[in-house]
Amino acid sequence: MSDLRRSPVGQLVNRRNFLQLGGMGLGGVALTSLLAEQGLLAAGSGPIRPEIDAARPYAARPPHFEPRARRMLMIFCTGALSHVDSFDFKPELVKRHDTPMPGQDKLVTFQGENGNLIKPLWDFRARGQSGKMTSDLLPSLGELADELCFIHSMTGKSNTHGPAESQMSTGFILDGFPSMGSWVSYALGSESQNLPAYVAIPDPRGVPQISTRQWASAFLPAAYQGTPFNADKPIANLARPASISADADSATRDFVKFLNERHLAQYPGDTELSARIASYELAARMQLAAAEVSDTRGESAATLALYGVTDPNKNKAGFARNCLLARRLLERGVRFVQLFNGAYAMGEGVGNWDGHKTIATQYPVHANILDQPCAALLRDLKARGLLADTLVAFVTEFGRMPTFQKGASGRDHNPSGFTIWLAGAGVKRGFTHGATDEFGYRAVKDVTSIYDLHATLLHLLGLDHQRLSFYNNGIERRLTDVHGHVVEAVLA
Amino acid sequence: MKRKSRRAAVLFAPALAWILPLSAADVDKSKLPPAALRPVDFRKDIKPLFESKCYFCHGPDKQKGQLRLDRKADALKGGDSHAPDIVLGKSADSPLIHFVAGLVPDMQMPPKGGPLTSEQIGLLRAWIDQGAQWPDDGSSVSAKHWAWEPVKRPTVPTIDKRQAASGNPVDRFLLAKLAEQKLSFSAPADARTLIRRLYFTTIGLPPSPEEVATFEREFRTGNRQLAIGKLVEKLLASPHFGERWARHWLDVVRFAESNGYETNGTRKNAWPYRDWVIRAFNNDLPYDRFILEQLAGDAFGVDEATGFIVGGPTDIVKSPDPVLTANQRAEDLNDFAATTASAFLGLTLHCARCHDHKFDPIAMKDYYSVVACFAGVRHGERAVKPPNFAELQAKADGLRAQLATLTKQMERFEPVAQTGTNGPGRRPPVTRGLNLDRFPAVTAKFLRFSITATTQLEPCIDELEAFTAGAASRNVALASAGATATASSTLPGNAIHKLAHVNDGQYGNDRSWISNERGKGWVQIEFAKAETIDRVQWSRDRDNVPRYNDRLATRYRIEVSPDGMAWQTVATSDDREPFGGKANGGITYSAEGMAPAEAKRLEELLAARKKWEAELVSVTTFPMVYAGKFGQTAETFLMHRGDPMQPREKIGPGVLASFAPKLSVPLEATDSERRLALAKWLGAPENPLTARVIVNRLWHYHFGIGLVDTPSDFGLNGGRPSHPELLDWLASELIASGWRLKHIHQLILTSAAFQQSSVENQLSNRPDSRPMALDSSNRFLWHFPARRLDAEPLRDTMLAVSGKLDRAMGGPGFDLFEANSNYVKVYNSRADFGPTEFRRMVYQSKPRTELDNTFGAFDCPDAGQVAPKRSRSTTPLQALNLLNSPFALQQAGFFAERVATDAGKSHEAQTKRAFQLAFLREPTRDELAASTKLVKAYGLPALCRALFNANEFLSVF
Repeated sequence: MSDLRRSPVGQLVNRRNFLQLGGMGLGGVALTSLLAEQGLLAAGSGPIRPEIDAARPYAARPPHFEPRARRMLMIFCTGALSHVDSFDFKPELVKRHDTPMPGQDKLVTFQGENGNLIKPLWDFRARGQSGKMTSDLLPSLGELADELCFIHSMTGKSNTHGPAESQMSTGFILDGFPSMGSWVSYALGSESQNLPAYVAIPDPRGVPQISTRQWASAFLPAAYQGTPFNADKPIANLARPASISADADSATRDFVKFLNERHLAQYPGDTELSARIASYELAARMQLAAAEVSDTRGESAATLALYGVTDPNKNKAGFARNCLLARRLLERGVRFVQLFNGAYAMGEGVGNWDGHKTIATQYPVHANILDQPCAALLRDLKARGLLADTLVAFVTEFGRMPTFQKGASGRDHNPSGFTIWLAGAGVKRGFTHGATDEFGYRAVKDVTSIYDLHATLLHLLGLDHQRLSFYNNGIERRLTDVHGHVVEAVLA
Repeated sequence: MKRKSRRAAVLFAPALAWILPLSAADVDKSKLPPAALRPVDFRKDIKPLFESKCYFCHGPDKQKGQLRLDRKADALKGGDSHAPDIVLGKSADSPLIHFVAGLVPDMQMPPKGGPLTSEQIGLLRAWIDQGAQWPDDGSSVSAKHWAWEPVKRPTVPTIDKRQAASGNPVDRFLLAKLAEQKLSFSAPADARTLIRRLYFTTIGLPPSPEEVATFEREFRTGNRQLAIGKLVEKLLASPHFGERWARHWLDVVRFAESNGYETNGTRKNAWPYRDWVIRAFNNDLPYDRFILEQLAGDAFGVDEATGFIVGGPTDIVKSPDPVLTANQRAEDLNDFAATTASAFLGLTLHCARCHDHKFDPIAMKDYYSVVACFAGVRHGERAVKPPNFAELQAKADGLRAQLATLTKQMERFEPVAQTGTNGPGRRPPVTRGLNLDRFPAVTAKFLRFSITATTQLEPCIDELEAFTAGAASRNVALASAGATATASSTLPGNAIHKLAHVNDGQYGNDRSWISNERGKGWVQIEFAKAETIDRVQWSRDRDNVPRYNDRLATRYRIEVSPDGMAWQTVATSDDREPFGGKANGGITYSAEGMAPAEAKRLEELLAARKKWEAELVSVTTFPMVYAGKFGQTAETFLMHRGDPMQPREKIGPGVLASFAPKLSVPLEATDSERRLALAKWLGAPENPLTARVIVNRLWHYHFGIGLVDTPSDFGLNGGRPSHPELLDWLASELIASGWRLKHIHQLILTSAAFQQSSVENQLSNRPDSRPMALDSSNRFLWHFPARRLDAEPLRDTMLAVSGKLDRAMGGPGFDLFEANSNYVKVYNSRADFGPTEFRRMVYQSKPRTELDNTFGAFDCPDAGQVAPKRSRSTTPLQALNLLNSPFALQQAGFFAERVATDAGKSHEAQTKRAFQLAFLREPTRDELAASTKLVKAYGLPALCRALFNANEFLSVF
């Protein structure tokens, strides 16, 4: 058993290693030797647990192999965006509109019995050079079809929002597992020394269905929790309280440092003590950096207009500001940004994509909020050259039925086949992988699981999903549990 | 590929193969495809091949011919008839290769799904020729494993007298091991450090400066060991001891006070379990009894203790989808069984849910046997029965009878429905509970109740009753009275919502009918014969504990008919107050137009009813506790691949067959008997794991690391004990003491090991064998391991130092969140706190998977999964929270007020007092200078804010 795994402080501190670091100082020299060590490790086939310097938990760490992407943006549409109304064009569904789905008489799904097949509520048309058919629900995103890599054959394990959101973000339908962003920041640290490695940006309307579990570090160290903030709501406890003057604050911190250094002198070689001294220094830098990243005054009018930050619809403007924040975070080297579209708090379908009842009136509301800002974010990333080494995954917890629910004008949950798309670093552009059946009910061609998706995303980030692990309570835990294959077909 | 012609002997060939395996010499090796020339990687090249082609018959679920290819040890051992199937370095001689290459007649492998390609065979050959490199998966360790062996009491080592100052056996074991490494303990810690350490690990609170002073004096002037012994005794007797150690146990058992998953609704009556754990630790409840009560406390009048079983998450989102429903139940059962095994046995039982455990001797059948012990348990609240329950029941029955008579007497005052007059307000609005429609007596054989509007969704009726006029009034709508019900439609797929429930005489949502039409529907009752009726009663959820307000019929019409053809309306909702109007929750009685004596009589009746109803409520209302609902045991089946939609053979209740003591539980055992049997097996002294696991937990929390550093995994994949003899000695000592945990605490706390300094003792050893180089991770305990306080004692300590800590024990918890009232709970951290929140954090009403934005950053487990060992990280968010959070600021303010009150105006005196309270020591001269400078410039709160952020404040060392 490795010394690291059994380390008394929950795998963060390796004392022997600290002594080495201590001898050479906490600077770059030690890091180089660390990287070399890890490079050797990567040649084997056992679990790879990143060697983490407790004093610098966000320090950049080497991937397992040459990565295609250096950072990642996950756009999460909560509530389950209907694939048959957006990206998965099914001519047969149009043809058989308002007839029973063959072989699925009285099919009972999450909310009960299903009625007839219902054609998409928005027209599909060919987009870009690829001629990809996408619907008028999300026209601006449709215009970007040549940039996108669609996976139409995604499948999930749960037809309930909570467990399904958990699976998409943590790999497990149960509570209590680390989110993908936590895994990635645990593995790779960050390229930004002054911002959290993993930032979650909740929708202006509130948190997603499973709330903070979307970005929980669970059994991974707390350093790898997603730090939630958005354009409206800064990091909790970030700012100096108004009641304390800048001078008082700075004198207080100096005094804390004075005390801590004296204490360290009494307990030499205690890694936790020096880590804490370092954490106060990082906190001070983060106060500046987080304020700077949220300050969009320097953005051009054209950029602001592109995103729609001045839109009279305050939800759309809020989401647009969040999209802009996402770009600014990625630009500054934040490793993993999770951007949410949709919130639960207001109830079924009101604040998110959960269109059970009246999809025709619910969806335009959400599409208006999502479409322009999200498309602008992609365009902006591309224009700034960030898309070359930023991986984008646009996901939702599951799809929706090609039928309407019996007695309603909306669609029930459907994890048997739905659409997600990727863009940016390392993935094919204007490409489509996998397919659902003729109605969009079940994935039938190149069926893909969420495990496969996670394996692929980790692969693009230079991480072997079978080896990135953390020992917890008897099991080498992985994001992909014991499953997952890299979807080679989507790799550029 | 050519298909081999089938010969007559085909039927016998496999049987022969068992007896007469073909020797390698009998096959024509020249037909083998060549071995690949490149280096082969097991994970990349071989495992996927085995997975796709072999595991179906030779994997976790099936092992045809006893060959198993998913575990290294089994695969290399081989099957029954050809072992070894893999001959290391010799692919041409390996039966496995002969079979996949089709060299052995009728043994072509795989038999279905097409043979391997030449390339695949080539890879397999190369892999075998290169030595069949297979990363160790732990399977090579045989069933012999230290933790499966019975606990034996080892002899306490005799060691050099000079070293064994205390004579505590704990030290002797540790010193013996240290001596092997030529190491020894570090120097003893000073009195202040020691008392602070003892307070924190034992009760989770700091001592007062006065307590420190007293201890320092005793330490200096008297017998040190005596002083320490006295202090340990005092701390173990403190009620705060149970509070601190309950928090540890609650981590181990994933206790939280909400459901988890997406709805995460609050369990407002879950806290009694937390209080029970606190009491159990404080009273030193013997550990075997501690187990027994948590699994079967209902049998001993300790209802709240079974909060253990249902302390985990449950998905309450219900659906007509049977797959979802089955999966939800399977997850609940898995949580019950896995948490039990994890907490008491340190075993990862859940790993045997889909296949036999890959490392430990736990068969899939064992898993389902333990699951069967919980087959009668469901999530939910249950009433805590008082000791005089039977007496109260009898009283309640009497009151019910009195009320029934009284209701009869009141009938003549009930308002009669006015059809056609459309007089709104004459009658009360409809309610979820009992609704009455009186009308002039009419003779009918049919009754129809038609709904045209509801509060929401499809209408629901739990019972529809029609009463005959006059004396000896009967409900003639009952199915048991021969009536039959029909309806416009019924919502499909729900066992609790059926048409038959509408006239079955039982109330409540779980015995109700729901139409399959939004906002409408009708029910019709045909009586056994024509009856003269004068009132109809109906309700939506008339349960003792009603739950539902939705689906309530708000507009309806009651019609009667002699023949089912000609209908007459007798009552409608038109003359009721609109829904949501003057809701008085019952029937408006009126003596309007009657004699004055009648009016007086009505008043008396109403007064009597009010009194009796209140009495009935008081004798039938018992405190509820979220400790599980116990009932009939459902049958348990082994689920193929753990899939609840693929039941295989029936499994009876039982325990883990490979572990002592042997125990069989009869199939017909009741729910309670099953849980009792399991609990007794767990607490049996012969059980090799139970005592070891709990003493190790105590060690883990005192020293920050266990003798086994995987506290809930004592299996083959877990850590090995650093001091196996010490672990066994402590385990046997626990059992010998009558399972008294405080005895073990006392042994640990009074040991010299615990009293060492945390400053690494590097001087007493030769420079070339410095302990840091020999044992950098301090597994041999050559110094006390320093560490940061956990989130809870940190918050408690800030309150204790600020002088605001409310030491009140027990009862409902306080909230660190403002929860919304939606179906899906959203927990927002509160920003302002008052005295209600100034209790110890163990009394926080803890929502699952939600961490408050001040202390959540300090590695607080979120109870999504069990947390036998907290991670401990150091992050900038922790710094920001302690510097800037409203809580930290508020407490720094209180701390400053306290210091000012105690020390007066002098900055020097203030600094001294602040240091005393926060660090339990005087400031040094330069600390005093720096502090007074800070206080002078920015005030006392600045100093107090700084002290809360100091390492010396935040750590135990």
